[in-house]
Amino acid sequence: MTGEEHSGEAPRCALSVQGLSKTFAGSLALDRVDLEIAAGEVHALLGENGSGKSTLIKILSGYHVPDPGGRVLIDSHPLEFGSPETSYHLGCRFVHQDLALIPTSSVLDNLSLNGGFPTRWGTIRSRSAKQLASSDLARVGLDVDLAMPVGMLSPAQRTGVAVARALRQFGRDTREVRLLVLDEPTATLPENEVDHLLDIVGRVAARGVGILYVTHRLDEVFGLADNATVLRDGRKVGTFPVSSLDRRKLVSLLIGTELDEVRAASQALHSEGGDAVLRVHNLEAGPLRNVSFEVRPGDIVGVAGITGSGREVILGAIFGATERRGGTVRVGDVQVRSYRPREAMDAGVGYLPPERKTQGGLMEFSARENLTVTDLAPFWQRGLLRRRGETAETKSWFGRLAVRPAEGIEAPLMTFSGGNQQKILFGKWLRRSPKVFLLDEPTQGVDIGAKAALHRQLLDAAANGAAVIISSSDVDELVALSHRVLVIRGGRIVARLQGDEINVAAISHHALGADEEVAGV
Amino acid sequence: MSERRRSLNLGLERFSGVYLWALFILIFGVWKPHLFLTKATLHSVASSQAIAAMLAIAVLVPLATGAFDLSIGATINLSTIVVTWLQTTHHWNMWPAMIIAVLVTFGVGVVNGFIVVKLRISSFIATLGMATVIAAIQSIVSGQSQPLPPTASAWNSLTQRTVGGFQIVVLYLIILAVFFWWLLDHTPAGRYLHATGGNLEAARLAGVRVDMWTWLSLIISATVSGVAGVLYGSLSGPSLTFGSTLLLPAFAAAFLGSTQIRPGRFNVWGTMLAVYVLATGVKGLQLVTGVQWLNDMFNGVALIAAVGFAVWRQRTSAARRSLAPPTDHGDSHSDDEAVEVAGVPSSG
Repeated sequence: MTGEEHSGEAPRCALSVQGLSKTFAGSLALDRVDLEIAAGEVHALLGENGSGKSTLIKILSGYHVPDPGGRVLIDSHPLEFGSPETSYHLGCRFVHQDLALIPTSSVLDNLSLNGGFPTRWGTIRSRSAKQLASSDLARVGLDVDLAMPVGMLSPAQRTGVAVARALRQFGRDTREVRLLVLDEPTATLPENEVDHLLDIVGRVAARGVGILYVTHRLDEVFGLADNATVLRDGRKVGTFPVSSLDRRKLVSLLIGTELDEVRAASQALHSEGGDAVLRVHNLEAGPLRNVSFEVRPGDIVGVAGITGSGREVILGAIFGATERRGGTVRVGDVQVRSYRPREAMDAGVGYLPPERKTQGGLMEFSARENLTVTDLAPFWQRGLLRRRGETAETKSWFGRLAVRPAEGIEAPLMTFSGGNQQKILFGKWLRRSPKVFLLDEPTQGVDIGAKAALHRQLLDAAANGAAVIISSSDVDELVALSHRVLVIRGGRIVARLQGDEINVAAISHHALGADEEVAGV
Repeated sequence: MSERRRSLNLGLERFSGVYLWALFILIFGVWKPHLFLTKATLHSVASSQAIAAMLAIAVLVPLATGAFDLSIGATINLSTIVVTWLQTTHHWNMWPAMIIAVLVTFGVGVVNGFIVVKLRISSFIATLGMATVIAAIQSIVSGQSQPLPPTASAWNSLTQRTVGGFQIVVLYLIILAVFFWWLLDHTPAGRYLHATGGNLEAARLAGVRVDMWTWLSLIISATVSGVAGVLYGSLSGPSLTFGSTLLLPAFAAAFLGSTQIRPGRFNVWGTMLAVYVLATGVKGLQLVTGVQWLNDMFNGVALIAAVGFAVWRQRTSAARRSLAPPTDHGDSHSDDEAVEVAGVPSSG
């Protein structure tokens, strides 16, 4: 959609990667990867966590030095490895998910900070600083007030400011920008703002800049990219013209058949029927209004919805992580009050929060302490907390969840990889055998292997009679796991899908509000 | 190779204070053997630091839960004044006077906890403000004049009786230290207190009653300060101003202690070690030079050095880890590099 303007010229290569490998401690993170991006091309780089895409980007930015043998050309100039300066001078720019903007400073100041303000006698020449900033913004087609604090902009606008800043030219001998790497720029954007950002990207590409667009949102790929390269386990699965792909094919390229297997396993489970173990009635919290539903033992219920719809607060509100304005939550016969996590736990609820680092784990504490903190009673005997029992239980969970390194039970949680951290946090709830297991983004930021293991644990928990409720922005995951899917839009449940109704298209359709009718409660 | 390096590091990292202590003793022992290497020095260092050490334990508990108690200096002072004022001005018996003094400080802890937990005011501000309020209350009670020291011999022998050459206050300190070591390291309560300080939100979502533990920790710090204040009154007699001079050393010891024995955690034995290493250094230098400003200089430098060291340690281990930053939502940067670290056994 964007490369056309330049199709008349001889195609220049903005980026050419040839036979790039990188070994970390004996394991290959990147295995002879080739990649070419033409000037003005938007090239999507796709891969799950651990696929090697961030390793590749960090080689381009000069952070990692690859194994000998590989080559990277930026506009046919060879990139000297391990030198961020060279990468910059050759015209590579990077915008990471953490935009590195100062929210309390104005747009103008943020644009000027790392390049310096134009000054005379040590005083900022505000008019020329403004002119410069305006032209930066014009370059990406962004129309915002320069005096506005960045924190007050919408997320898409903020990303736009970061892109504008990246494209600014500093230093005489710096070459023109050839390659812009956008590293998951939309990971935290509400879906309705993604279009705006895609506009910006298109505009930059139209200037003849090659764009490497890293994302895990598959839908964007179709609207934006000319080509897509898929990495898995450090190897390149292939580069495909986007027009030759559909979502299903892309998913199988990315993760193989794991989700198909999960879906089959999930469908093989049948609910034990009987009375609902969780009854949520007229729940009000955040944007949520009048949300009611029931879940029976053995059920796996998915909750879908765009960020901001209320999907992201529903499980926390049920558990008591956040306050409810109204409504009741009953677990079995017990009514659980608002904002009382302990009470919910005592009633048999477990809750895996979406943010591992800030809510899920005690990152500086050992894996053992993280695992056992949910219930210390078994180890408290005759006036002492018995270390031996704790160690034994932790070991058994490490075995059951295949946590690596297996002997790391005393290592701080933060030293584990994302997937293994998540396994440990799963263990901390599974050891309580919850009757109701609430999971917010259960497999975000984990590699494929860990994802499969976590899915298996979920299915096991359901098979053992737990009511499992998953809120996830990964729609493919919800489709694979769920017996039922509740779609939330604007704070209300707008659809309750089950059986064959559960598919990505239907969920997106309801989540984005293509129809206005509200499903009955 | 890495295995050996790790165990070597561990020893140096965890017990650097012990080495420093040995070094002090060696240096001053050689320098002033007749003054320094005496039982009298041992006994005097042990008992002169006992109250400071108790205050360090007091401050340790809220620090473990992530709260500051800056009012302990004022609290210990209030306790001393109350316990002596009741005895000399109101002619109370020492035991009820002691009980009232400790109850008053318990009340201070309850108020501190209320302000921090219920009013959601940061503990730093809340206890800083309370410190001044307590000082005002002390002035009201004492009428700005130092009460006379009680004369009962039972009162003096409460702390000054000697056991094996040491004043008995040293024994009280050991009992207190053992109790808090047990509480913090060997009970579920201790685990919850530490978890609250480790990550308040994560602890809360794991079912830890973080508000209760924060409140309780502030009650503990105030009450322990109160007990220490009573003992100070018996040991040294009443003073209107000694409390504030003990505040900084207590924090210095607790922070320095968090780099020892169990690095990265506030712990009792590390704190005790820190108190006595500093005291030994100060004592030795005083014997050598005879100057009085050493104590302040030492404690100030030690506090900054301890926190600096902790920050540095965190940064280096973070740098080691930034090879593998823990993955966050949708952040794919880490798993790749976790591989990098997986090969190197990461020393915590």
